[in-house]
Amino acid sequence: MTTILRTKGLHKHFGGVLAVNDVDAEFKANRLRSIIGPNGAGKTTFVNVITGKLPASSGTVLFEDRDITNRPPHRLVRLGICRTFQITSIFMGLTVYENVRIAAQSEMGGSFRIFSAKQSLKSVNKKTWEILDRLGLTDKAGVPSNNLAHGDQRLLEVAMALAGDPKILFLDEPTAGMSPAETEHIARLIKGLTDTVAVVLIEHDMDVVMSISDEITVLNQGSIIAEGPPREIQENELVKEAYLGHA
Amino acid sequence: MSKMDDRMSQAGSGKKTPYRLRIVALLILVACLALFPFVVTNRFYISLVNEMLIYGLLAMSLDVLLGYTGLLSFMHNAYLGIGAYVVGLFLIHISPSSLWLAILAGVAATSIIALPVGWVQVRTGGLAFALLTLAFGMMFYTIVWKWYDLTGGDDGLMGVPHPDIHLGGIVLGHSGSPTAMYLLTLSMVLICFLVTWRIMHSPFGAVLEAIRENEERASFVGINVRRYKLYGWMYACMLASVSGGLFILYRGYIGPTTMSAFAGAGVLMMVLVGGMGSLWGPIIGAGIFIFIQDYISTMTEHWELFVGMVVILLVLFMPRGFVGLGDYVTRFRKE
Repeated sequence: MTTILRTKGLHKHFGGVLAVNDVDAEFKANRLRSIIGPNGAGKTTFVNVITGKLPASSGTVLFEDRDITNRPPHRLVRLGICRTFQITSIFMGLTVYENVRIAAQSEMGGSFRIFSAKQSLKSVNKKTWEILDRLGLTDKAGVPSNNLAHGDQRLLEVAMALAGDPKILFLDEPTAGMSPAETEHIARLIKGLTDTVAVVLIEHDMDVVMSISDEITVLNQGSIIAEGPPREIQENELVKEAYLGHA
Repeated sequence: MSKMDDRMSQAGSGKKTPYRLRIVALLILVACLALFPFVVTNRFYISLVNEMLIYGLLAMSLDVLLGYTGLLSFMHNAYLGIGAYVVGLFLIHISPSSLWLAILAGVAATSIIALPVGWVQVRTGGLAFALLTLAFGMMFYTIVWKWYDLTGGDDGLMGVPHPDIHLGGIVLGHSGSPTAMYLLTLSMVLICFLVTWRIMHSPFGAVLEAIRENEERASFVGINVRRYKLYGWMYACMLASVSGGLFILYRGYIGPTTMSAFAGAGVLMMVLVGGMGSLWGPIIGAGIFIFIQDYISTMTEHWELFVGMVVILLVLFMPRGFVGLGDYVTRFRKE
């Protein structure tokens, strides 16, 4: 199985606080890897450094064996590294359709056409509808995204990330604030994404994590304390200790 | 119509006025404006509407920044000023009769100045961006004010020649003639409006809107945010310099107060009164603003006081500006 992305000795500190401490991780094609750990373990920071939201303090990020450390986000998206955020980040004033369309447009090109109508990019429109269909948002295409229910906004953000044609997709707590039914729906959907991309999932809902992950990485205080398939992680003493504290 | 196109039109905002109706409305409006100087032959009214159109163009160019890209500029009038001074100096020192060459020189020189300023500007956003526009604006104001030998300092740039206005092969008269100048302004503003409308509704315009809505998300869908902000900035400054060219031709004079922060706030008010993000709103806003200014200043010299009160009322009761009125009417009719 091919490795898409790996980190080598990745560090990130804020002042004296070490948020990511010497992390070596590997992400493989068509696999779903969850990153779990107690609050403040450095999960989001780790993903922020990989995806270019924050600069690394030291260490390297390799994408298909190319060094991509500290490249700006828009370049990483072009390579196929896409993400969603813990706090929903969409274009609130625009329709659902336009949210996905603009993401597809910036991936497929055409942004520098100034004299044609924005609806005239045929292949972009086609892809937009495909993605909306895939995520079940077709009926809501014309709705301004600030009028969407929370769960649909989370889905929309996933749709926008998919429009960037990712090779690896980072999802930061996609089920946050969702009802159990919505959570089940999105969990199944996320699992389905691994047909085409590598998925990295930060998640607090252990039922979701244990049922859909291929592998799990456990972070604690910025370091990896365990790695392996779900069953192994459930049995791991270090992990139990990290979550429950010292007895 | 294919199924896809059908779905497309559903996904667009369907509540808007039909396309054809809007074109008809625009044609009628333009026809009325074109006939205006022949019906109302009073040169003061012609000049008044001329000024509304020039400031309308400036306000529209600010709307490209504020309403479409989401960037607040306190002193967009600086680029009207730079354009006006360059066009004036070109006519005085280089060629007194080359109208189009002078306007071209104005746009080119403004772009050369706006580029490094924009390069710095787009590295910031929000409040920092707005404060930088103020800082650069003050700098330009001071330069124009103190560089007496070139700009005439406090006295302003005087003795700008009146070149002939060629429009489609016909000589309308020279720029000192109110009607000829008015027709030049009207055609330029119309062209700029149509071109800008086209650009703002293109894939490129969609990128600017995405940046306005959410800069971080824009960069995480693969948009080079700084670069596109710079494009938006450059376009807005170039449009402003066109309005500057018209301004100096129309007035035959410009002084540093046109480039002051106070005047800059006025332009911002025009955009807010008219309603941002529509392009035509700010042109209406400029009309309202200049009308109030002109009307009240015949009664009292403290007209700013009244303009201020009108703006306060508008912001409180019509937060979306004149453009928002349409929504009120639709809602009222539904209820």
